[in-house]
Amino acid sequence: MSATDEITRARAAGDPGGIVAPPAAWRQVDATVGAHRDAGAGHRCLELHVPRTFARPEPGQFVQLLLAPPAPVLLPRPMSVASVSASAGGLTLGFLYAAVGAGTQALAALSTGAVVHVLGPLGRGFPLDVAGTPVLVAGGRGVAPLLFAAEAFARRARRCELLFGARDAAHLVALAGATARLESAGGRMHLATDDGSRGLAGTVVDLLDRIAPRLRAPLVIHACGPHAMLRAVARWGLRHETPAFLAMESVMACGTGVCRGCPLPRSESARTELARRRDRIPSLYGSPEFAMCCTDGPVFAAPDLDWERIH
Amino acid sequence: MDLAVRIGSLALRNPVVTASGTFGYGDEYAHVVDLATIGAVITKTVTLEPRAGNQPARIAETAGGMLNSIGLENVGLERFRREKLPKLAALDATVIASLGGETPAELAALLEALGREKAIGAFELNFSCPNVSKGGAIYWTDARRLERTLRQLKPLTRAPLIAKLSPDVTSIAELARACEQGGADAITAVNTFVGMALDLDAAGHRLNRSTGGLSGPAIKPLALARCHEAARAVRIPVLGSGGIMSGRDALEFIAVGATAVQVGTASFIRPRAAAEVVDGMRAFLAARGIRRIAEWRGRLMEPPATPARRAPAARRAKPRNGRGASRTRCDGSGRSRARR
Repeated sequence: MSATDEITRARAAGDPGGIVAPPAAWRQVDATVGAHRDAGAGHRCLELHVPRTFARPEPGQFVQLLLAPPAPVLLPRPMSVASVSASAGGLTLGFLYAAVGAGTQALAALSTGAVVHVLGPLGRGFPLDVAGTPVLVAGGRGVAPLLFAAEAFARRARRCELLFGARDAAHLVALAGATARLESAGGRMHLATDDGSRGLAGTVVDLLDRIAPRLRAPLVIHACGPHAMLRAVARWGLRHETPAFLAMESVMACGTGVCRGCPLPRSESARTELARRRDRIPSLYGSPEFAMCCTDGPVFAAPDLDWERIH
Repeated sequence: MDLAVRIGSLALRNPVVTASGTFGYGDEYAHVVDLATIGAVITKTVTLEPRAGNQPARIAETAGGMLNSIGLENVGLERFRREKLPKLAALDATVIASLGGETPAELAALLEALGREKAIGAFELNFSCPNVSKGGAIYWTDARRLERTLRQLKPLTRAPLIAKLSPDVTSIAELARACEQGGADAITAVNTFVGMALDLDAAGHRLNRSTGGLSGPAIKPLALARCHEAARAVRIPVLGSGGIMSGRDALEFIAVGATAVQVGTASFIRPRAAAEVVDGMRAFLAARGIRRIAEWRGRLMEPPATPARRAPAARRAKPRNGRGASRTRCDGSGRSRARR
């Protein structure tokens, strides 16, 4: 049995990253903006203080961040959690985002003390208990939740290799801070840029090809970044029979599974498996054709999605 | 304060219900909303067979609103009965089941299966999904088909039947009257408006099926006018829907004749939205010394263009005294509808 079969089987049995979403523990709370600073290349680091009623997010989970009225956008914005620490009265959550649209630009203008609404924690994070040397593969700002994962691995006495890629050196977002966080978690950083301005000249998958043979097998990959990169990483994992878990993105309305607005096509094997087990999947709304990014993900195992149909 | 209303034989503790497709099957939000504080939960539309829904992308945010193209993704009748009904029965909520069919026969089959279920207080017939190729809003804009279908469905259950109509029609008044004549107990006005959004940079559509249903604050003035038009046309209750985000929004729909209101997109943004709408209504009415919701209903309704009740043969006849005849319906409070 291959490693990916094993993962598929473990997950089908309801284990890490299983098919059935856990019962909802999310809440919508008022959050206060803490530190909020520029992170380079159009990105910003944001800290939010949330009260004790907010459950502690796991690496790979996300929140729905809603601006207080009057706001230029209607819907909340899904944001992956980049760090969690205890603070007076609750938790401090960290985020790394790019101010690219009307919503994130309005968010970027908020200063310390401003109030936003946060709904979460949402979705299923990285399955940190899958055995193997953790190889974290990051594209651009996708590095943020993986640093959070590296710290969680460190608490489990596991050291990570972080492969960080971007189009150029400037888009290796917040690199200095990332390196410091990774080193304090006992991890090692490896870099790649498309234009060769920093690290290996090539993609992060080229970097994976180069680094993987030197690492102690078996490996387990956790990745976050643009879908094109995640597709390449997923295929790498399938080709090398290495379990790979990919943090996906989608446009969303609710983030809680209700609106059915964020479907991702499931693979043939996942559909077959779900069709066989349909009686035991009360969370499934329709046919097994689609997973919902918000509640079935956002982290998916490589064999579960149809990468041909993911853009 | 008395916020209780009736939809046919169904009594609601207050006029605020959650719109179909925006509140799951109730249990998804039950840990953050006390369902006993809202009038009713309308479930996601159920169809005879499970539906996978449309290809992504299904959601596009637009100015003041959102487009959706979900495509009636749902578990289908069999699993609805087995898995969802027991959960619905356990909720501390009045439950209205939304039914969708591509033909009158499919709706009849659904009602034959579910019509006697005690957990279901009423049925909303989704005559207006804009996002399916068969049995959607366009199919159900035929007044005679609506009337015939309701006549066929009415004997299949003792629970009230609510006809949910599309706003994208020449005359919602005509369709509402057809539903009333067929035996509908209430009208929902309105479902989403057909809309489109492009990604100019990518030179493509933002939704996979190119069009979707527009909801949210952007449609409130449009929906309010359709709700008003429907309420003037029929004597059965109207459930107003479209862009309701607050208690004040809800009271606008009730002021133009709605008996109840539906909160939809707001729940995606604030899961407690429906309960907050109830609180907001209560506060507004209390500040004005209004003790019964019936005192507010219809307060800003224009007189009906034609007499409300007339024989089919007299349909084209002009009212003898349009304004005078309508005074009894528009003088502010409970009126004929409240007595029914």
